This record gives sequence, C-alpha cells and structure tokens, in this order.
Amino acid sequence: MELALVQLFNGIQYGLVVFLAASGLTLVFGILGIINLAHGSFYMLGAYLALTLTSITGNIFLALALGLPLAFAFGAAIEWIFIRHLYKRDHLQQVLLTFALILIFNEVQRIVWGSYPHAVPVPDFLSGSIRLTATLAYPVYRLVLTGICLVLALVMLITITGTKIGRLIRAGESNREMLELLGFDSRLLFRLVFAAGTMLAAAAGMLAAPVESVYPGIGERVLIVSFVVVVIGGMGSIRGAFIGALLIGIADAFGKMLLPGFASVMVYALMAVVLVVRPAGLFGRA
Amino acid sequence: MLRRPHLGVMALLLILLGLVALLPIMPPDVAGPYAIKFATRIVIVAMMVVSLDLLIGITGLVSFGHAAFFGLGAYGVYFMSPEAESANVLIAFPVAIALAAGGAALIGAFAVRNKGFYFIMVTLAASQMLYALFHDTRIAGGSDGASINIKPELVIGETSLLDLSNRAALLWLSLGCLVIVYGLSFWLVRSSFGHVLQGIRWNEERMRALGFNTYIYKLAIFIIAGALAGLAGALFAAIDGFVPPELLGWRQSGLAIMMVVLGGVGTLYGSALGALVYNALEETLKNSAVVGPQISDHWPIAMGLLLIGAVLAAPQGLAGWLPRFVPRIGGTNIKTAPMDCAVHAAPVLSVAGLGKVFGGLIANDGITISFEPNKVHAIIGPNGAGKTTFTNLLSGTFAPTAGRIRIGDVDVTSLSVHRRARLGIGRSFQRTNIISAFTVEENCLIAAQAGPLAASGVEMALRATGLEDRRDRLARELSHGEQRQLEIAMLLANGAHTLLLDEPLAGAGPEETQRLTALLRGLATNHTIVLIEHDMDAVFAVADTIAVLVNGRLIAHGAPDEIRADAAVREAYLGSFELIGASP
Repeated sequence: MELALVQLFNGIQYGLVVFLAASGLTLVFGILGIINLAHGSFYMLGAYLALTLTSITGNIFLALALGLPLAFAFGAAIEWIFIRHLYKRDHLQQVLLTFALILIFNEVQRIVWGSYPHAVPVPDFLSGSIRLTATLAYPVYRLVLTGICLVLALVMLITITGTKIGRLIRAGESNREMLELLGFDSRLLFRLVFAAGTMLAAAAGMLAAPVESVYPGIGERVLIVSFVVVVIGGMGSIRGAFIGALLIGIADAFGKMLLPGFASVMVYALMAVVLVVRPAGLFGRA
Repeated sequence: MLRRPHLGVMALLLILLGLVALLPIMPPDVAGPYAIKFATRIVIVAMMVVSLDLLIGITGLVSFGHAAFFGLGAYGVYFMSPEAESANVLIAFPVAIALAAGGAALIGAFAVRNKGFYFIMVTLAASQMLYALFHDTRIAGGSDGASINIKPELVIGETSLLDLSNRAALLWLSLGCLVIVYGLSFWLVRSSFGHVLQGIRWNEERMRALGFNTYIYKLAIFIIAGALAGLAGALFAAIDGFVPPELLGWRQSGLAIMMVVLGGVGTLYGSALGALVYNALEETLKNSAVVGPQISDHWPIAMGLLLIGAVLAAPQGLAGWLPRFVPRIGGTNIKTAPMDCAVHAAPVLSVAGLGKVFGGLIANDGITISFEPNKVHAIIGPNGAGKTTFTNLLSGTFAPTAGRIRIGDVDVTSLSVHRRARLGIGRSFQRTNIISAFTVEENCLIAAQAGPLAASGVEMALRATGLEDRRDRLARELSHGEQRQLEIAMLLANGAHTLLLDEPLAGAGPEETQRLTALLRGLATNHTIVLIEHDMDAVFAVADTIAVLVNGRLIAHGAPDEIRADAAVREAYLGSFELIGASP
C-alpha cells in the first residue's frame, strides 16, 4: 500500500516532467506544423546545462535561472538556422532534417561532456526526506520538483488562456493559415514558439537532472515518451498533454511495480487503447 | 503515377549490381572479406528501404516503425536456429517472413486507420513497443541481443546448396533477393492494385468515393512491405549471426526513412540508391585515411550537415536530381481498348425522415424525398441550410442521426462510402477532387477499376464528357472547367447511375457553365443527377425538379415553375427568388 503511494508520487512527478517536455513538442507541432525529432536533444541540453551550471554556481536553482534564457536563445537560433526552411515542406523532410540534427547534437554532446554518466547534486537544504506517514519518507527534492512543475504548468496555462500572445497561440493552434491571412508576422511568432518549446524541454531536463543521472542519449527516451503523450492528449492540445503525461507517468510507475519488464510496453499499450477509442487523442479534433 | 524508371540511372545501378556480384571472385587485395560484408549489408538495407518506399512513396503512408518488421525477420531466424546445428533457409526464412508479416498485420490493422502525423506516431509507438518487449524481457537474449551459433544453410533433400556462413554465398543470395524484391515491388506498383495505392497517396477521399475500400488496400500493402522487410531482416541476421534489439528501434526506422528521402520518394530505385549513398557516405566519413582524423572522429556531425544540405538543396532526392543529366526515355504504357457504352437502369434514390445533428446544431431535420431516375434534381437553399450535409448523408460520408436512405429497394443507411459507390452512387465535391498527378485517362482508369465497367467505362466516360482529346494531359494542367468535367467523367467510368454533384458550376466562367449544363442535360438521359448549386439561372434552366432546404428542413419540392410560384419559398428565400421571379 505504501509502496503504491510512493509509486503514485513518483508517477505524478515523472508525468509532470514529461508534461513540460511534451508541451513544448505539442506547441511546436500545433503552431508551426513541425515534427521535431530533435526535441529530445533540447531535454538533453537542459540536463547537461544543469550539470555544468550547477558545478559553476553550486546551486540547481541558480543554474535554472541562467540556463533557461540560454536554452531560449539556443532554440531561437536553431529555428533561424534550420527549422524555418521547413514550414512549407512535408513531414518527410522535417523528419529527415530533425533526425540529422540529432546526429549533430549527440556528437557535440560527446565532444563537450563525454560519454560517461554524471550525477547532478541536489541542493543541501533540499537533500533530506520528509516523513509522510509513520513508516513512509519521501525525498524533499522530488516534492519540490513536483511543485515547481505544477507552478510552471499553471504559468503556461495562464499565459495561453489569459494573454495576448496566448490568444495568438490558440488561434494558430486551431487554424494556422488563418493567422497568416490575418496578417500577423508569423515568422516572429514561430520563432518565439519554437524557442519557448526548446526552453520547456530544457527546463524539464534541468529539473529532472538531480533525480536521474545525466547520460548520453537521455533525450531520446524523453522524445519517444513525449510523442506518446502528445498523441494521447491530441495534437496541439496543452490540456491533452497535461492529462496524457500524468496518465503515462502513473502507468509507467505502476507498470514498474506490478509488471517489471513490461513497464514501457504498458505505456505504448495505453496509447494504443486511447487511439482505438479516440483516434484523434483525448482532446484532439477529429 | 510511377513512370518507367530512368534508363540511364537504371543502367548505372545494374552495372553496380554486377560489380557487387563479382566482388567475391576478385583477388583479396581488391575486395577483402570486409568489403564483401559491407556490400552485403548495403544490398540488404536497400531491400528493406525499397519495401519502405512502397509505403511512403507509393501509398503515402509514412511509417516510422518499419525497422520493427526488419527486426522481426532477424529474430525469426534466431528463433528457428537450433543451438548446435544450422537451420534450413527454406524453413527458417519463410517463418521469419511470416513473423514479420504477422507483426505488420497486427500493427497495420490499427495503424492504417490513422493518417498523417498520427500514422507516423502510431507506427513509431508500435515498433517501440516491440523494441521494449525484446529489450526488457528475456524472450530472446534481452538487451544483450541474441546470438545465432551456426548460420543457416539452404538444404534441399540431403544436399546443402548454400552455406550462409560463406560470405560469397550470403552476398549472392542477398543480391538475388534484392532483384526479386525490386522486381516484385515494381510489378506490384504497375499492377491495378498499385494504381489504387498511388491513387490513395494523392487523394484518398476520392478513392473512397469511387468505391475502393482504402483500408483494405492500405493494410495489404502494409503487410506486404512488412514481409519484404522481414526477408531483408532474415538475411541481415545471417551477416554476423547476431541480432540486437536495437534493430527494431526507432533509430533504425528513422535511418530507413532518411535513405528513402535521400534517394527520392516514390521511385523505388531511388530508395535503393539512397541506401547505397548513405552507407557509402557513412563508411567514407568514418575512414580517417580518406577524410582525416578530425572528421572521422566526429563523423556524425559531417553526416548530419550533409543530410541537411541534401534535404534543403534537393528536396526530390537523388532520383529527382540525377536524371536531369540524361534525357528521359519512354512513358506510361497503359492501354485501353474502346468498347461500347454500358447503359444503366437507375433506381429511385429515396430518403425518409432523414436527420443529422452535430452537437446541438440540427443540420438536417426530417427530410423525406425521392429522386426519380433519369432526371436532374436540384437542391437549393440559403447558406447553412444543410445542403452539403444532405449530400454527405446521401453519399455516406456522415451517418444520419435519424431516418433511412434507400437505393431502389436496398436500404443503404448503414453502408460506408465505398459500398454505396459500388451500388452506383457517385459524388463530386465542392472543391475539385481529382488525382492531379495522374493523366485524364489514368484518373478514369482508376475510377473504372473500382466499378463494374472496367476499361470499357473509360472510353464511354471520356466520350460522354468530351475529354477524349485531353486524355494524355495531366489532370493538374486542365482548366478549371475541364477538371470539373473530369470529375464527372470519373463518376461515369466508375459506373455511377446516380451523380451527387456539389456545386459543379462554382468558379466556372459563363462559357464553362454553358458547357457543363449541357453536359448535365445530356447525362440525364440515363443518369439520375442530384445537384447542389448556387447559380439560380443555371438551376432553373437545367433542373427537372427543385427541392428547397431551409434551416435543415425540406420546405418545397417540385418542378421549377411550381417552386417559382411557391409562397413559402418566396418568403424563406426572398432575395434571390425575387430576381428569378421577375425574369422567368
């Protein structure tokens, strides 16, 4: 029972991290119409930024404050150099180009940070565990991580429902051509959205870095899971990504507990079930 | 349509194949064991990539999980290989192919329901699921991979004809298989089955409306492609006798897509070229003696940049780029024999109490009407009256929420679009819906193929619509009016006796309108035409009966003169009717 409770917490925490990454992916697809296979690389970037900046500043939160703007700028640059050539191209060419980007990013990672796994320290004041019940303790950092992810999710929700740029994003989500017809400078919007998507993936990578170790290829697992989440939630739907990510997190955590060895199979099975019942995902338009 | 492949490039590829076949008998300092193994790998990967092009390039299904079937083929050979002796190729390979085909059938049954991005993601997830299964469990060596101790032999009776542990034997067998896979794929694409697949790629909605069960076609090609990839995988397992789970993973699938795109989508030979160029490039970039240690140590960066350059500079791939230097020879070889026109007996199309509700919106409400055969029936009404919904209900695109639809005595209410098309209901769409990459004749051929008339329908349709002298033009080169004519020709070739035409005159100039209305009048001698149209002059000139829809309800149905005089219609539809009433 208590193990189940811990797994529930773990599942929610993992789900929220995945949500951050997946929300970036779904935004980029929903608005730019781009299938970005390199999205996982941005998660990896975040993880390694956490590693480097934490060792410089000594604190994961200072590292976050420095790293997120860096990731944003990086995303904007990638959009400007590569992605913007893809808007009028078909899915295949997007797959090809972003796949090629993965090759490059992975190799750059190997050059800069090497092939060995690294650990990112949890800040001292968050390093303990907290007693939840008489016999159950839970690491403080994981709780804080859950809290931060929730706050970020809330900020995103408010941005999207309550601000001018959010309205543009929602408009773009439901009808991309229309935005252009209305005369918005979609180039700027696209660049901002891509950079924001990059930042979200990097934020997920940075926040999760002290919990998991940092290793090459860390982004690819997240990429596939994010795609699954986006498909479950419905393409382009932030709300769908939120529900989908929590479902995946919990399915994964309980899968590990109940059917070790089949946990990842369960995640895909969940997606298959959702697609059979709702072919456009939970919140997608058919 | 797949045109005849470029002869110059084909000759080049054939010479290459011949050279590869000679590798094992060259002196070892020209082609050592490594070169033979490398060539074998390229040949096998080319086979896999050609099978993927059947999905991506021919049918338009971008599968991101094709490596799963390649991997299943490889694991199939592992499962069939005993510990201490060699498996027989004649047993192990068919089992491996069957395993891959079975996996493809299972995954495809779900996946081909989806389109575009969802298809990509479902195939990706399904293959990752298989990867997780082989990686995380011990059904075959788990994450360490599975080893085949003794490689398979091809045994007939008691004699061993080929021992795959011999490099030359494996290379020759692989080459033979590549030629067979390519030949089979090429034949398949040029067959009538293949024409339907290409039609699906360009315009699936139209293919369904013509009466093709596109689901079955897509599933069939998905299974065929999976089986061919399985054969490639089975051969691959014999290279090193080692099958790692990564063979099924998304990276392999991604690489395969990359080779297809690099080579040129939808040409088959292009993807083989892509496999060759990609692997040769990788091998070169890894070789420090050729490119220097700076590059060879970090070859993925160079590879990535080259690929990005390729996708930006030559979006059509190598197959689109190479032939620029050599003129094209030959064209399509489709032939049809002109035959007599089939005459239909059109049954009555009738609906009773037909209703459709979208969420809270009542689009059609209790419509009861029957359309007499061999007449032109127009449906008019203000914008949002539910005219297009009504057509969609008749054609089967939507299922009604109430009421029944009958063709003659047959209740078709629950039949799908393609089943109704086979019963003779043809429809055109508001936006012209033809297969623009096909010629006029090819469009009609594909339509005829779905119907009862076969090739005789093509000539009849071309003659009836006056497109005979346009038959070899690409559909996209036609004028707007001619495209509309072609759309109707496709319905005729399809054997439709009832034509549902949604605004066939929209966007047509005065001359085109005249030609099209004359065409409709002519067709009405042996077809029932249900016409939705905004051009009131044309409607009143061409229609035998007019039905008026307002707010989803049928408020009047009768001859043009009766409608003109109808008080309820005048009231509901004042503006435009005043005009017509004023100048009868």
